[in-house]
Amino acid sequence: MSDIIRSILVYIDGTEQSVVAAHYAVCLAKTLNTELSALFVVNTQALGTLVKSRIFLQDEEAEYRRDLNADAERYLKHVQTIGQAKGVDIKLLNKSGSVSGEIKKCVKENDIDLLIIGELSRIKSRRDQFYDETERAMRSVSCSVLMVKDDERVWSMYDNLL
Amino acid sequence: MSLLDILTKDVIAVPLKVQNKNEAIRELIDLLYSNGQITDKDEVYDAIMTREDKGSTGLEKGIAVPHAKTAAATKLTAAIGISPEGIEFGSLDGSPSKLIFLVLAPPASSGAHIALLSEIARLSQYQSLCEELVEAESAEKVLSILQGEE
Repeated sequence: MSDIIRSILVYIDGTEQSVVAAHYAVCLAKTLNTELSALFVVNTQALGTLVKSRIFLQDEEAEYRRDLNADAERYLKHVQTIGQAKGVDIKLLNKSGSVSGEIKKCVKENDIDLLIIGELSRIKSRRDQFYDETERAMRSVSCSVLMVKDDERVWSMYDNLL
Repeated sequence: MSLLDILTKDVIAVPLKVQNKNEAIRELIDLLYSNGQITDKDEVYDAIMTREDKGSTGLEKGIAVPHAKTAAATKLTAAIGISPEGIEFGSLDGSPSKLIFLVLAPPASSGAHIALLSEIARLSQYQSLCEELVEAESAEKVLSILQGEE
């Protein structure tokens, strides 16, 4: 096991970028022989905001919460499969709450020393930079953070991983 | 995925040509259909109105956010309609809606759908921004205001 990186957390949010990040994380965990965890956060904070602002009715909130829980299970299972295909066991963490808050908490509770995230989308307005939850997590976690880019290279790296 | 990732000037009606809620929703649906964002106008209209029947999405301060999950949306999509005079939308505070964000998502896109609606909820808190949008004279101007370049 690497002395520099012992425990990696990859954040999954259902985007293509986060799936690419998961592939990269598997490659890194296998190469360094480190522990790997994958976290999905059901963003109940956003659901609460939508109810509060009256965009959502209570029954819509419940319906979307079910959808997000199903997404969480589906994506975490997919990540597990990505790991299994390369002989990497992944600890699956399914949480709900505020995305940045839960990422920060998981890093602390699981003694993570590297957080891996997918590429953040390009900032298109000045307001964007204040509201990206993943970026907020990146800024607030106590460990180092690696943002995965260049999906073609990652697919190739994963495919060639023995 | 942010509002600016999915909006183009072709799905922004400045101003809306119609004067009532149902027609405004129809006009925005037509824009999305003309731009290949949805496959079935009636299915989308029914989905939106089913939601509206449970409770109006007319919020306070002249903003409305009609939305639905529908298989007729090929991807997460949105249209904006601006009505400087305002349209009766059955809003919470009784004020007519001047800024209408219509949002549609396929059934399997709940995460992105919620993120987009959350962004609109945040935007709606900026009164001066909303006033600027209502005063915009073109779709290009609306995009420019949303980009924060004004």
